[in-house]
Amino acid sequence: MYHKSILSRFAAAALAGASLFASTAAFAGEVTIWCWDPNFNVAIMKEAAARYTAKHPDTTFNIVDFAKTDVEQKLQTALSSGTTDALPDIVLIEDYGAQKYLQSFPGAFAPMSDKVDYSGFAPYKVQLMTLDDKVYGMPFDSGVTGLYYRRDYLEQAGFKPEDMQDLTWDRFIEIGREVEAKTGHKMMGLDVNDAGFIRILMQSAGGWYFDDDGNLSIEDNAALRAALETAQKIMKAGVYKPAAGWNDWVATFTSGDVATVTTGVWITGTVKAQADQAGKWGVAPIPKMNIEGGTHASNLGGSSWYVLESSGEKDEAIDFLNEIYAKDIDFYQKILVNQGAVGSLMAARTGAAYSEPDAFFGGEKVWQNFADWLAKVPPVNYGVFTNEVDTAVFAHLPSLAKDANIDDVLKAIHSQAEGQIQ
Amino acid sequence: METARPGGLKRYYDVNEWLFVGPALALIALFMLYPIAYSLYLSAFSGKGMMVKFAGFGNIIRLTKDPVFITALTNTITFFVIQVPIMITLALILASLLNNPRLKFSGFFRTAIFLPCVSSLVAYSVLFKSMFALDGVVNSALETIGIISEPISWFTEPFWAKTLIIIALTWRWTGYNMIFYLAALQNIDRSIYEAARIDGVPAWARFVYITVPMLKPVILFTTVISTIGTIQLFDEVYNLSAEGKGGPADSTLTLSLYIYNLTFRYMPSFGYAATVSYVIVVLVALLSLLQFYVARERR
Amino acid sequence: MTTQRFARALPDIFQYVFLGIAAFLSIFPFIWMLIGATNKNNDIIQGRLSIGSSLQDNIASFLTKVDLPLVMWNSIKIAIIGTAITMLVSSLAGYGFEMFRSKWRERIYSAILLTLMVPFAALMIPLFKMMGWGGLINTHTAVILPGIASAFIIFYFRQASKAFPTELRDAAKMDGLKEWQIFFYIYVPVMRSTYAAAFVIVFMLNWNNYLWPLIVLQSNETKTITLVISSLASSYTPNFGEVMIGVILATLPTLFVFFVMQRQFVQGMLGSVK
Repeated sequence: MYHKSILSRFAAAALAGASLFASTAAFAGEVTIWCWDPNFNVAIMKEAAARYTAKHPDTTFNIVDFAKTDVEQKLQTALSSGTTDALPDIVLIEDYGAQKYLQSFPGAFAPMSDKVDYSGFAPYKVQLMTLDDKVYGMPFDSGVTGLYYRRDYLEQAGFKPEDMQDLTWDRFIEIGREVEAKTGHKMMGLDVNDAGFIRILMQSAGGWYFDDDGNLSIEDNAALRAALETAQKIMKAGVYKPAAGWNDWVATFTSGDVATVTTGVWITGTVKAQADQAGKWGVAPIPKMNIEGGTHASNLGGSSWYVLESSGEKDEAIDFLNEIYAKDIDFYQKILVNQGAVGSLMAARTGAAYSEPDAFFGGEKVWQNFADWLAKVPPVNYGVFTNEVDTAVFAHLPSLAKDANIDDVLKAIHSQAEGQIQ
Repeated sequence: METARPGGLKRYYDVNEWLFVGPALALIALFMLYPIAYSLYLSAFSGKGMMVKFAGFGNIIRLTKDPVFITALTNTITFFVIQVPIMITLALILASLLNNPRLKFSGFFRTAIFLPCVSSLVAYSVLFKSMFALDGVVNSALETIGIISEPISWFTEPFWAKTLIIIALTWRWTGYNMIFYLAALQNIDRSIYEAARIDGVPAWARFVYITVPMLKPVILFTTVISTIGTIQLFDEVYNLSAEGKGGPADSTLTLSLYIYNLTFRYMPSFGYAATVSYVIVVLVALLSLLQFYVARERR
Repeated sequence: MTTQRFARALPDIFQYVFLGIAAFLSIFPFIWMLIGATNKNNDIIQGRLSIGSSLQDNIASFLTKVDLPLVMWNSIKIAIIGTAITMLVSSLAGYGFEMFRSKWRERIYSAILLTLMVPFAALMIPLFKMMGWGGLINTHTAVILPGIASAFIIFYFRQASKAFPTELRDAAKMDGLKEWQIFFYIYVPVMRSTYAAAFVIVFMLNWNNYLWPLIVLQSNETKTITLVISSLASSYTPNFGEVMIGVILATLPTLFVFFVMQRQFVQGMLGSVK
């Protein structure tokens, strides 16, 4: 159980006091928000809304929960048909897609540079929502990655938590063979319809699909090559359970099938939702690729809030985001504990919750670890065509499994991606 | 008198005649023709989202260089070439068996086989997803019977993913086609069959030489409808592939799904998406013509 | 003697086995749906074939996530109103094209049939734009409108109209009935099994419609049951037990319509392919 520290209590009180003077403008509208994960961003937005309503009773919130693909599709249809009255006031957008929306639909999103102090946020988050020197959106969660592992399975196979620290992927595969031999469990689940795992590996060595100028970089991309080689080794070693799509992949660990999960910190809520697995999990830094620039830190996903320029409640929506997401330290402690959300407001990390041990993870100080790893994530340029190249990459995962030559695969990915990004 | 004037009477009937088809024509013009024309206009532009410029035939040139388009086209044709004949043959056989007047429980069989058509595409794809899971009921049944020794990866192996789509389509639509044939068969004079039977013509020959030729117009009709449906295939592949992406490895990506991706998943490129949609129009038109031509020649 | 009789019965046995397998495969997913509704999420994914004890839990958790009366009302409203208008407009057109032949109308009719070839994906963006101009986004009207004038249903009614006895129409004309009176007082009652079959087809199309409502319906208050199932099934942590409850609820009305109107449906189909 988490207890508010005196400091954060004081901060909240000070904030509440300040807001009495600050919020001179009386808002009285309903702010509509679209987001997608009931265990995560929906729950967090509800918390944020409750906090804001407590101080501004005239503002009400309508938080609409769609599937993620539905949110993206509705947003894109409405923007491209110019039908702004169908849009909400605030929408959640995954970071990979941010530039795509900002560049494709100029004028659709409200710039917030003059209302929000962005200096307190992780710089990479601010950068990805900046276009022509204007900043759009409110940075939300980070997708810093970790290697979640089942203590019980690994112990049966003869490995202690110390053995899981600072691995290489080769060592990871060796451990995977042992685990399968001794427990019958596969080491990890791998979604063959998603390139997320490849992106984690690639970014851990500081690479992305594009160079700094946004040009496609595939065939001479050392990080991508190493990522594909690593994935191929894992597939050929057979230490993974194939999954078809997100739900199937989530089921590989919620059902207790596999021994480890390598993904973004936002998965914590889902992991912890399996109450019967309490105390059986641990978190280590992700294994490293043996190439120059390889690290134990990476990022997957993460998303941010954007206010629509056409919104009738535009000022109110910006004020709401600013007051909670840019200032309320206590809010970040609460969503960390309840939803496992690692925010990108730097000041939030000094809060008490970050140094608390978590019993679910056997008393490890997992949040402190994630905060440390976050500082080490290599910054990369997501560009505007990540979705397109992603499709080209996962289209070739099955051929990787069948022992395809990496050069050929890179060439095929390049030509497919090139056809898509015109 | 008004009605006594022939011109007036004729004009009266003329207007009346147009009134019957009028509402439908107005709606079709508004919700079909206008969007079609608008898409055609869009197909001459390219660019990112709202930032477009005139491209002329640029999108058509892009088509020829796009490996994903080629994959989607190949997949679509594969589904059509394999699935439609299987389904039509199966529906014909089932219909001619059910048309046997001495068959017991024919009402039960007919209803049972038609039943899949009443399920919604979303509902049945959810059912199929759970049934064809790796540890799911279909794999365990196949293993019990002894057809397979290892579970089939229906959603992660490209070949099996395609097969699953074909199985699903066949499950959903065979009964639908069967009802058309059954209806048509009941119009055929039974004495023809009786005469053939007395002459010792075996069942398969009665099927090939009597049933199929008699049903030619209906077969043509259902083939055209199935062709159109299969070439526009969207709902099934969208709902059965993971996150509607047409995976694994683009093995279930169809032209319609590609259009959807170009519009909603990628950097929005409506001009190019509209160009791909016209490929479907041309394809369906050509195939329908071909089918009419084949059917006419044999008659 | 017995072998001979057996040999003669063999094709019959084969017939029943074949039909039996076909019927079983056709029905099995429905049985699976019913069994699934009583099982926990993990049991469903693992293919458990026996009836479990989680039915009440599944219903309860489904009801906490879904405003069932509202969602069902939305679906039923769209399906019934959409079907009624579609049948009226399309049968008028089918009748009109068949009864009053003219060179122009034949040309237009062929053009209408050609529209069957246009994939819906190509119309989506323009249609959405139009609904925006009309201020119809997030309304059920926007869901219903584009489906009303269906080329397929017009074709169906025109085919069926060929079976409408011309003597009836001539006699009615002699009695001084106007065309609209002939249509409503004679054609509609005479062709009721045609209408019944069309009702089954159009109702199912409307009830099961997915992609278009997904795009135009923006809020939870306007969602239909099909949209609810798909978002339950594609949510971050789907509970298949819950999803099965949704699947059953989405399937029951079409099953009901089919069973009630089965006889008329088959009769109607008979007419359509003559």
